[in-house]
Amino acid sequence: MSKKNTFARRTPTDIGLHVWGILVFIYLFIPIAVIIAYSFNTGRVLANFRGFGLDAYIAGLNNDIIISSVVTSLQAAVGAAIVSTVFGTLGGVALARAPKGAWWALGLTGVLALTLVTPEIVDGISFLPWFVTLGVDWGLTPLNNGLVRLIISHAMFSMAIVTFIVRARLAGIDSELEDAAADLGASPWRQFRDITLPIAAPGILAGALMSFTVSLDNTILSSFVQQPGYTPWPVYIFSAVRVALRPEVAAISTVMFLLTLAALAFVAFVLRKAGGSSTEIIKTMAG
Amino acid sequence: MSTSSQPLTDGTAEAASDRRGTEQGGTAASRTRRLSARIFGASAMSFPTWAYALFFFIIPVALVIFYSFGYKPDQFTAVATDQLSFDRYPEALSASFVTTFFATLRISILGTLLCLLIALPFAYWLAIKVSPAHRSLALALVMVPFWTNFLVRTLGWQIMLSPDGFLSQWMQGIGLLDAPLDILYTRAAVQIGVVYNYLPLMILPLFVAIDASGKKLREASYDLGAGKVTTFLRVTLPMAMPGIVSGCLLVFIPLNGDYVTATVLGGASGSMIGQLIANQFNTAQNWALGAAMAMILIIATLAVVGLGFALLWVGQRIAARLGSVPLTDGKV
Amino acid sequence: MPDVHFLAPRAAAKRLSRRAVLAGFGVVGLGALSACGRTTKMAASPPVDGELESKLNLYSWGDYDNPDLIEAFKDEYDVLVQVDSYGSNEELIAKLSTSRGTSGYDVVVPTGSNIPQMLNHNLLQRLDLSLIPNFAHMDPNFTRQYFDPENEYSICKAWGTTGFVYDTTTIPRDLTSWQDFIDTAQQEAAGTTSLLEDPWEVSAIALAALGYSLNTEDESELEEARAIVVDQLAPNTKAYIGNVATGMIQGSFTLLQAFNGDARQGLSEVPNPDDWKFVFPTPSANLWMDNWSIATGAPHPDSAHAFINQMISPETAVDQLDYIGYPIGTKGLAEAAKQADLSEQDLIFPTQEVLDRLEPSKQTPADQIRTQIYADAQARSGA
Repeated sequence: MSKKNTFARRTPTDIGLHVWGILVFIYLFIPIAVIIAYSFNTGRVLANFRGFGLDAYIAGLNNDIIISSVVTSLQAAVGAAIVSTVFGTLGGVALARAPKGAWWALGLTGVLALTLVTPEIVDGISFLPWFVTLGVDWGLTPLNNGLVRLIISHAMFSMAIVTFIVRARLAGIDSELEDAAADLGASPWRQFRDITLPIAAPGILAGALMSFTVSLDNTILSSFVQQPGYTPWPVYIFSAVRVALRPEVAAISTVMFLLTLAALAFVAFVLRKAGGSSTEIIKTMAG
Repeated sequence: MSTSSQPLTDGTAEAASDRRGTEQGGTAASRTRRLSARIFGASAMSFPTWAYALFFFIIPVALVIFYSFGYKPDQFTAVATDQLSFDRYPEALSASFVTTFFATLRISILGTLLCLLIALPFAYWLAIKVSPAHRSLALALVMVPFWTNFLVRTLGWQIMLSPDGFLSQWMQGIGLLDAPLDILYTRAAVQIGVVYNYLPLMILPLFVAIDASGKKLREASYDLGAGKVTTFLRVTLPMAMPGIVSGCLLVFIPLNGDYVTATVLGGASGSMIGQLIANQFNTAQNWALGAAMAMILIIATLAVVGLGFALLWVGQRIAARLGSVPLTDGKV
Repeated sequence: MPDVHFLAPRAAAKRLSRRAVLAGFGVVGLGALSACGRTTKMAASPPVDGELESKLNLYSWGDYDNPDLIEAFKDEYDVLVQVDSYGSNEELIAKLSTSRGTSGYDVVVPTGSNIPQMLNHNLLQRLDLSLIPNFAHMDPNFTRQYFDPENEYSICKAWGTTGFVYDTTTIPRDLTSWQDFIDTAQQEAAGTTSLLEDPWEVSAIALAALGYSLNTEDESELEEARAIVVDQLAPNTKAYIGNVATGMIQGSFTLLQAFNGDARQGLSEVPNPDDWKFVFPTPSANLWMDNWSIATGAPHPDSAHAFINQMISPETAVDQLDYIGYPIGTKGLAEAAKQADLSEQDLIFPTQEVLDRLEPSKQTPADQIRTQIYADAQARSGA
C-alpha cells in the first residue's frame, strides 16, 4: 500500500469516523438542548410543557434564593480552585521531585488516591461533625461559616486532582534545568519561581479549571456541610428535584450555559493573543 | 557544581548546599541558603499538602472508619463505640447488599466499557482527523456540557426519555413506535445517563494519549508496509494504552460510588450501592453499619481496579510474546 | 392515643444522652486530642427580645409552603427568608444533631412521631406562645397531641394520610383496599407500580393487608409483611419515589402509593385528571402530622415566632391549603375550602369514617426491621 496521502484521501473509514464524531457531539448536547427548549415552558412543572414564554426567566432572575445560590456556588468554586491549586501545586512539585521510594511521597500519593475512592457520603458524614468540633469546641469560629466549610471540603476533593496533574506535567521535565539554575547561583526560591512554576503552569491552570468544575457540580458533600444562606446551586437543584423541578431552574441553567460559552470565547481570545494554546491546557488537564 | 548529572532530589540539593556551605565557610548567607534549600526541598514542600490532607481528610474519615467497629445501641442513637468488634462487616454483607453490589458493578463496568467504545473512535478522530485549527474548539466543546449542572443534564435526559415526552410522541408520530417509549426507569436509561455523564472523562485522556503517539510513528509504520488495521493495532493502540488505563480509572472509580444519576433515571432498577450506604446514614441512622459498608465498597473498588491491572499485565505479556513477530506480518 | 411506649423512661434517657455525648456526635475519637470534647455543647440561641432579625432560615420538606405567603411575610416584616429542604425526618435530625446548634436553621418542620426523639436530644427549643397569638385559632383536634401534650415545642403545620392513586384506563376495576393494591401490582400494574420512598409506609401496605397494627413490633408479623413486600410488591415495582406528582406527569406509572395532598397536586398537573382515581384504602393507613418547631440554637428566634404566627393565620389558611394540598389545622378550614370552591376537596378532607380507621405512625425499635425490609425490597426491584 502506498504511503502518500493516506491522510488526505477520504476512505470509508474516514467518513465513518466523521459521522461518529458528529454523533458523539449530538449525544453530548442533546440534554442541554432539551433543557434550553423547556426553559421557555410557562407551566408550573418543568417536564410538563404548557406554553411558550419567558416567564421562567423573569421569575428565575427575580428569585433571590436562586440567584444567591448561584453566587454561592461560584464563590465556593473560585475559593476551592484557589486553595486546591496552591496546596495541589506544592504537592505535585514535591511528588515530582521526590526521591524514588521516599515514604512521604508514597504515603501522600496513597492518601490522595484514597480521597478519590472514598464515597462522597462518607466525606459528608465525617466532615460535618469535624467542622462542628473545630468550630464550636475548639473555637475556630471561621469554620462556623458556611462558605468556608464549602471551600475547605471542595478543595480537599480537588487537591488530589491538581496534585496529580501537576506531577504528571513535571514528570516529563528534566530536572537538569533546575540544577543548571542552581549552578548559576539562583536561590531555591528563584529556581522555583523562574523555572519550576513556568514549566508547571499549564498543569496548574488545568488543575485550577478542573477543580472549579468539580466544585460547581458537587452535590452530596455540599448538602451535608452547607448552611442556610450558603446553599450552593446543585444542592438547591437537588432539593427541587425531590418535589418537581420548575422551569426557573432550566432558565437559570440556560443563562449560565450562555455565560460559559461567552467566558470560553473570551479565554480562547486571550490565549490566542498571549500565544498560548488551549489544546495544550486541555491536554494537560487530562493528565 | 559537579553533581548536575544526578537527578535533583531534595537529598542532593541539601548535600549540594551543604558542600557550598563548607566552601564558603559557614557565613550567615550560607545559613539562609541552607534554610531555603530545606524549605524548597521536596519533602518540606509536601508538608502543606500533607497537613491539609491530615486535617481535612485523614482525621475525619478515620473517625468514620472507627465507627465501623462500633454498633447501633438503640433506635435513637446513630452509633456507639464503647464495645468494638468486627461484627458490622458480616452484617454489612447481607444478601441485598451483595445483590446490589453486583448490580452496581454491572452498571459501572458496562458503563466504563461503553464509554471506552464510544470515546476511542471519537478521540482518534479528534486527534488525527480533525484539522489542528479546529481541534481546540472541538476539545472545548467536549468540556462545555460539564459546566451545566449534572442534575440538570440528567433531568434533560429524563424529559427526553419519558413516555409522554416529545421524543416518544415524535417516534410514534413517524411510525417508529406503536406504543409510548418505555425506557425511563429501566436499565437502558441508567446506562445512557451514566455513559453520558462520564464520557468526557474518558475522551480527554484518550485524546492526549493518541495525540502523543505521533503522526511520524504512524507514517513510519505505513512506510514499513503495515496496513491501516495493523498500524492501529500495533502502533496507535499500544501508544494509547496509558490513556485507556487512566480513562477507565477516571470513569470506573467515581461511577462505582455514584448513585444520583442512576436513581433519577433508573428508579428501582437504578438502585446502586452508594444509595444503600447513603440510606444507612440518612434514613436508618445506623452509622456503624453504613461505615462498614463504605469500607467494603472502598476495598472492593480497589480490588476490582487491582484485578483490572492484573488482567492488563497478563494481556501485555501475551502481546509482548506475539510482538516478537515482525511488524509487517501478513501484510506485505 | 395509644400508649406512648417509645418515650424512654427517665433512667434510660440519662444513659441515652450520655451515649449520645460519647459517640453520637462524632467527638469520641477525639477524646485523646481534646479532653473537653466530651460535652454535648449545643450552640445557644440569642434570647427573644421583641426585635425582628433581618433574616430567617426555614428548613422544611420540599415545596411545602405557598411562595406567595413567604413573599408576603418578607414584604410585611422586611425579613429575608431562606428556604432549604430535606427529604426525610432522619435527614433533618442528622443535620441538627451533628451540627449541634450551628446548623443556622430557625424554623424546622418535623413529623410528630419524631418529636420525642428530637426533644430527647435537645434539638428543639421551647416556643413562646405569647408571640404566636394565632395559636388561638387552631382546631383543638390538632393541638395537644401525644408527642407534645402542651404544645410547648410544636404547632400543627399540616396533616394528611396515605393511600394510592391509579390509572383507570389500564385498571378498570374498582380498587378499595391495600389487598387490592397488592393484587393489582402483580397483575395489571406489574412493572408500572411505584411505592413511597419510606420504609414505614412500604411495610404498612403489607401489614394493613394482613390486618395487623401498622406499628407492630411483633417480629413474626413483620416477617409475614416482609414476604409480601419483597416477593410480591418489589419485583413489580418500577420506582420508589417521594412525590407522586412527578410520577403521574411522566406517565410511566399506573399504580402509585401516595400521600393524599401530593396525589391532588398530580391530578392538577396531568392532562387527563378524570382517568385517575385516588383511594383511601381499607382497613387502615397512616395519619401523620407535620409541625412547626424552632431548632435549638436558632439565630433568629424573633423572626421565627413571627413567621410561624403568620403561616398559621386563618386569613391565609385557604391559600396555603390550596397550594400544598393538606389542611393546616386551623378552625373551620373545611367550610372555608368549600366556599373557595377548591378542586378535589374530597382528597384534602377524608370523611370521618376514613379518619376513624387511621393509625398514626410511631417510632419503635422495630423500625430497624422495616428499614431492612425496605433495603431488601429495593435490592429485589433492582436485581
